[in-house]
Amino acid sequence: MSDPREPIIRFDHASFGFPELIALKDISLDIYEGEFVGVIGPNGSGKTTLCRAVLGLLAPVEGHLHIFDCACDELRCHHRAKIGYLPQKGVVDRNFPVTVLETVMMGRYGALGLFKRPGRKDQNIALEALTQVGMESHKDNALGQLSGGQQQRVFIARALAQEPKVLILDEPTTGLDITAQHNVIELVQHLHDELKLTVLLITHDINMIRSQVDRLVLLKTRLFAAGPPGEVLKPEILHQVYGKDLVITEKDLVIVEDYHHHH
Amino acid sequence: MLDLLAYDFMQRSLLAAAMVGGLCSVIGVFVVLRGLAFVGAGTSHAAFAGVTLGYLMGWPPLLLAIVFGLATVWITGWVEERGRMKLDVSIGILYTTTMALGILFIGLMKTYNAEVYGYLFGSVLSVTPDELQTIAALSILVLGLLLLFAKELYFIAFDQEMAEASGVPARQIFFLLLTLVALTVVVSLKTVGAILVFAMILIPASTAYQLTHSLAALTLYSATIGILTAVTGVLISALWDVPSGPAIVLLATTVFFISVFFSPKRVRRPRLAHSH
Repeated sequence: MSDPREPIIRFDHASFGFPELIALKDISLDIYEGEFVGVIGPNGSGKTTLCRAVLGLLAPVEGHLHIFDCACDELRCHHRAKIGYLPQKGVVDRNFPVTVLETVMMGRYGALGLFKRPGRKDQNIALEALTQVGMESHKDNALGQLSGGQQQRVFIARALAQEPKVLILDEPTTGLDITAQHNVIELVQHLHDELKLTVLLITHDINMIRSQVDRLVLLKTRLFAAGPPGEVLKPEILHQVYGKDLVITEKDLVIVEDYHHHH
Repeated sequence: MLDLLAYDFMQRSLLAAAMVGGLCSVIGVFVVLRGLAFVGAGTSHAAFAGVTLGYLMGWPPLLLAIVFGLATVWITGWVEERGRMKLDVSIGILYTTTMALGILFIGLMKTYNAEVYGYLFGSVLSVTPDELQTIAALSILVLGLLLLFAKELYFIAFDQEMAEASGVPARQIFFLLLTLVALTVVVSLKTVGAILVFAMILIPASTAYQLTHSLAALTLYSATIGILTAVTGVLISALWDVPSGPAIVLLATTVFFISVFFSPKRVRRPRLAHSH
């Protein structure tokens, strides 16, 4: 843990939620610039809460959270604009009248501030973001007419249009077919390498990301483990968190086996 | 028909209809996209209760309409934000309560007051020069604010949490939208009436929604449809001597059903239900 670098996100004994219902308890965690961090844990383990906290949408009820050297409750809008966010895939109204380019342009609004209209420069940034995710040829298409995987790419482009330092993705592969899942993860890896982004990726799919991330953070209301995948994905740790027996195969893949189901 | 246009009252009515039609249809875009349709209905009835209290007490009716309208939208917004109650439940309760108050206040009046009913059913043909000025001033205010905050309003209509996360002051913008809905309802009360103002907000935007995939085009189409149906409705009302409010709304509804039938979205979607 003795890292000479300064962390850009620092949780210091931070708890989140309500006093009577704590979603995350006593989290101490440093995230450094340029890291690719995977956040895993069972349903209801506080993964999305962690994400909302880093976005400045939740202040800690105990402890401290510093983002860019700034206490979270002092986080101003222009700080938030430095964090690109891909929310958990909600239901996109297929008929919502918005084009791909209009969607990506929304990423510019926070950084622009009130009263300012997006200009040529903003449009170029949005088009560049679309190019980065390989969707530039769809810029005038209706968002609702795209496939799920394509929509995720557009939403990632919207996050990139903020010109963020940190990219947070909340279960970006949920609901996508296997090819689209791989493509999205590859894209995130590419953006991390190319743009030197700090990436926080929340997922259930440990197999999909274990070879991509620098560190895994394993949550279940508390911080169970944080470190390189090899250190976190140990049967005894996973058993504690998931309450099931997990087998690590020769290829170092993790398979969840529900013993109660088989016996 | 040209003779009709020479009358001052007719010119005033057409101007009022165009302004109210334009205003309602532009705010309607945000109401439809953000899913606040029922809020519009609730607000118009609350504003009417304000009008009745005004007549009962001898206070300025429009001022009280604004107070009642704003109180309703702000309470609704606050309740939604707290997550205590679903929006349709809280607005449903306020809607019926304010309507009950309105009926109570009318009952308490010693004499029959035709003007009060004008606010319920709309009387665009009797708009006075003073009222026209009020409509113009409030329309400019609301449209100006909509224009000023258009990009934030679109963003929260699409995804409020995402807007907040990316640095847009989404809560404040949401309350601004609610406030503008209340002001629009009050502006339109005299022209189309409490019952029909909601249709003026909802129908042009819903019609435009059928026709385009672009936010910019949606607003433009909605405003065009809103102004044209309002003006044509007033002309029909004057020519055939039918009430103006229903003439505008029924015309708008007809255009809506035509747009549903010819919607490019309808043509492309027949097999969607089986696609998964």
